[in-house]
Amino acid sequence: MQMSTPKAGAPAHNAGAPAAVELRGITKRYGSIVVCDDVRLTVHRGEIHGLLGQNGAGKSTLVKILIGLAQRDAGEILLEGRTVDISDPLAAADLGIAMVHQHFSLVEELTVWENVTLGEAGRPDARRTRDLVRDIGLRYGLDVDPDARVEDLSTGERQRVEIIKCLRRDPSLLILDEPTSVLTLAESRELFTVLRHVAQGEGKTVILISHKLDEILSATDHVTIMRSGRIVAQRATAATDERELAREMVGRELSKWVAASALGDSDALIDPSLSTDPAMLSPVEPIHEDEFPVRLRIHEARVSRDGRPLLQGLSLDLRAGEILGLAGVEGNGQQVLGDLLSSLVELDSGTVEMDGVALATGRPGVMHMAGIGVIPEDRHASGCVLDMSVAENLVMSTVESVARRGFVSRKAIRANAERLIEQFEIATPSPDTPMRQLSGGNQQKVVLARELSLNPRVLVAAYPTRGLDVGAIEYMTERLHDAAASGIAVLLISTELEEILTLSHHIAVIHRGSIVGQMRRVDVDAERLGLMMGGQVV
Amino acid sequence: MIESLALILASSLRLATPLMFAGLGEYMAEKAGMINISIEGMMLAGAFSAILGATVTGSPVLGLVFGILAGVMIAFVHATFSYRLTVNTYVVGLTLNLLVLGLTSFLLDTLDLADSQLSKFEIPFLSDLPLVGQAVFNQRWPAYLLWILIPTVWFVMYRTRWGLDMRAIGENPAAVDATGINVLKRQRQGLLLAGAFSGLGGAYLSVAEVGLFNQNMTAARGYVVIAAVIFGGWTIKGTIAGCLLFGAADAMRLALPALGFTLNAQLLIASPYILALVALVVFARRSRAPAAYGRPFVRGLT
Repeated sequence: MQMSTPKAGAPAHNAGAPAAVELRGITKRYGSIVVCDDVRLTVHRGEIHGLLGQNGAGKSTLVKILIGLAQRDAGEILLEGRTVDISDPLAAADLGIAMVHQHFSLVEELTVWENVTLGEAGRPDARRTRDLVRDIGLRYGLDVDPDARVEDLSTGERQRVEIIKCLRRDPSLLILDEPTSVLTLAESRELFTVLRHVAQGEGKTVILISHKLDEILSATDHVTIMRSGRIVAQRATAATDERELAREMVGRELSKWVAASALGDSDALIDPSLSTDPAMLSPVEPIHEDEFPVRLRIHEARVSRDGRPLLQGLSLDLRAGEILGLAGVEGNGQQVLGDLLSSLVELDSGTVEMDGVALATGRPGVMHMAGIGVIPEDRHASGCVLDMSVAENLVMSTVESVARRGFVSRKAIRANAERLIEQFEIATPSPDTPMRQLSGGNQQKVVLARELSLNPRVLVAAYPTRGLDVGAIEYMTERLHDAAASGIAVLLISTELEEILTLSHHIAVIHRGSIVGQMRRVDVDAERLGLMMGGQVV
Repeated sequence: MIESLALILASSLRLATPLMFAGLGEYMAEKAGMINISIEGMMLAGAFSAILGATVTGSPVLGLVFGILAGVMIAFVHATFSYRLTVNTYVVGLTLNLLVLGLTSFLLDTLDLADSQLSKFEIPFLSDLPLVGQAVFNQRWPAYLLWILIPTVWFVMYRTRWGLDMRAIGENPAAVDATGINVLKRQRQGLLLAGAFSGLGGAYLSVAEVGLFNQNMTAARGYVVIAAVIFGGWTIKGTIAGCLLFGAADAMRLALPALGFTLNAQLLIASPYILALVALVVFARRSRAPAAYGRPFVRGLT
C-alpha cells in the first residue's frame, strides 16, 4: 500500500481509501437563522453512522442537503473522494444516495410490486418486479408478499416495502430518517438486523437519524451528535454510553433563551447543587406537591388513528396554580394531547376529568365550556383569523358576551378590545387593525388575552413562544407565571427544553404517547431528562 | 308489453351512450384525483362543433372529429389553467361551462346550421334477438366504438405505466412526485383524454342521436356523468352501470307518459337528476374514493 498524504481534517480510517461520504464545512441558512453551521462529517463505507440530536438540531436539514431537497450555502460534499453537486433528488439517486423517509411515501391502494415499479420507465412488468421484490427480500431478510395491497400491510411491513424501493436502485448510501418512530420494538430490532446486513454484508453505507439513545447505541458504529446546527460530539459507539449521549444531546450551556427571559430575581430557592450547571439556573420557585388540588386529570388516555397509536395510556394530573411542563421530542403525542383538550379528538378509552367531573371528549365546545383555554401550537392556523380585526379576534370565543338576540354589538366589541389591549399591552394602531398587520408577538398576545379573558381554570399553552423575539418571550413568560399564580392550572407543551426549564414547576416527559417520567423542577438534571426524552424510563 | 319494454330498453341505451363515452374519460381523470365539472362544457362544445363540422364539410363523420377536437380544446384550456397555473378547478370548470353555454347559444342564433345525422348500422342476425336485439345491435354506428373503448381504457389504466402513474397520482401525488414523475403533466394528459371522450359523447348526442343541435342540448348530462363515476365507485364496470342507470331514468321520463302514466311533468323531467342525487348520497360514502380526490396537488415535501 502506498502512503498517501492524509488530507487535513480527514481522519485516516481505511488508510488510503476515500471516505464514502465526506462533508466539509456545510453551512445552511434560512433567512438569518443558521440551521447548519460549518458541519464536518466523515462516514466510511460499510458502517452505520448515527446522527443524534433534538428537534431543530439540524439533522434533517443536513440530510436534505445530501439528497438534494435543499441546497447548501457553503461547503463541499465528497462521495468516495470526489466532489459532487447534488442539485435535486434525481441527481442524488444517480449518485447512489437513497433515503427512507419518516413518513412513508407509498401508494396504499396499489400492490407492493406496483409501488416498487412506480417511477421506472417502460411497461410495468409484473413478473419481473415480483421476482425482484422476492430476491431483495431474500437477500436482506425483508419478507413481504409482492402481491399484497399496501393498505393491508402493518407499519413494519410497509417500512420493508419502503426499504425495498430504495435498495432496488442498489444505492451505495442509504439514509433513514427516524425510521422507528412508527414501529414496534420487535419491528425495530428486525430493521436493525437488516441495516447491519446492508452495511456489512453488502458494503453499503448507512446513515441513521434518531433521537432514541438505545437505538443509536445498539444499531450504529459511529455517532455524531448535533445541537443547534453544530456538531458537538463524535464518538465511536462502543466508546460511549447513554449518559454521555443524553448529556451531549441536551447540552449544558446557558442558552440565549434563558438569558433573555430575565426572571432571575426570584431564584433564591435553587438547589445549590444545581447552581454549578448554568442551564439549570432556575427562576421557578419550587412548589410543594399536594399543596394544590388536582384540577384536570387525564387518565389512561388512548387514541389511535388509522391503526397507529397516538396516545398509549397517557395519564397526567394538572394542579391548580402550577405550571406543568410537558417535555419530549416532537411527534410523541403532544399534538394529539393539545387536540384532545381542544375537543378535536375523541378518546378510544380513558377519561378526562375536571375537578372530578368527567368531560365528554371530541364533542365541540365541551372542553371550552369546562374552562379550558388553549393557546394553540400554530397561531396562524388555529389561534386567530389573520384577516379579521384585533377587536373581532379578541371576542372570537366569547361572542355571547357582546351579542344580544343574535346581533353583535360593535360598541361592546370595541369596549372589550380596548380593555384587553390596555391590560395586555398589545401594540396595535387601533382595535380595528387587521390581525395580519401585527407582529408575531402581538398576535400571540391577542390569543393569550382572549383565552385569559375567559377566566379559564386550565390553560394549555402549546409552544407559546415559538417564533417570538426576546421581548415577547419575556412577556409571555411573565404572563404564564401570573396565570399560574392566580390559580390557573397551566399545561406548557414545548420541545424547547429551556422554555420548559424556565417556566415549569413540574416537568413530565412524553414519549410514544405516554408519560415516561415526571419530576419536580428542582429535581431536574439534564442527563436524566435527556434519557427520558430518548425513551428510557429512569 | 314486450314491445314497449324493448322500446324503453332501446331508448335507455341510446340515451346512455353519450354518457358512457364521457364517463370513460371522466373515469380516467377521476382516477388521477381530478373532478372536472367542465365535462358539461366539453360535451356541449362537442355537440355543437359536430353539427357545425357536419354543416361545413357536409360529412357527419368529420362532424364527429370536430366534436372530439372541441372537447380537447376545452380540456386544454381547463388543464392549462388548473393543472399548470393551479387556478381552482371548480372556478375554471364553472366558467368554462357558462362560456360554452353562452357561446353555443349565440352561435346557434347567428349561424345557419344544417341537420345532419349518422346512419344506423344493423348487425345481422343478432339484431333479430328478442327484446335486446334492436336495442343493442341496431344503433348509430359510433355506439359500437364502446365495445373497443371500454376494454382499451381498462388496459391502459391497469396494464400500462401511464395508467399506473395515473392511479398512483389519485392516491398519493406527493409520493409519485418523489419518484420523479411530473404529476401535473400526467393530470393534464388525463384531462385532455377526458376532453376527447366527452367531446365524442357530445358529438354522438347531436350528430348521431338527434341529428341537430339545440340550445343547451346536453342539459347537465356532464354533471350526471360525474355522478355516474362516483356511483360506480371509481371502477369502469360501475361507471358504465351508472351511465346505463341514468340513461334508463332518462328513458322512463320519455316513456311513462307514452305508456299512459300521468305524472307531474316537472317531477318527471327532474327524475334523472333526483336519482343521481340519491345515488350520490347513498353510494358516495360506501365506496373508496381516490385518497387525493379533488385535492389540488402542490409540489413540495411534507
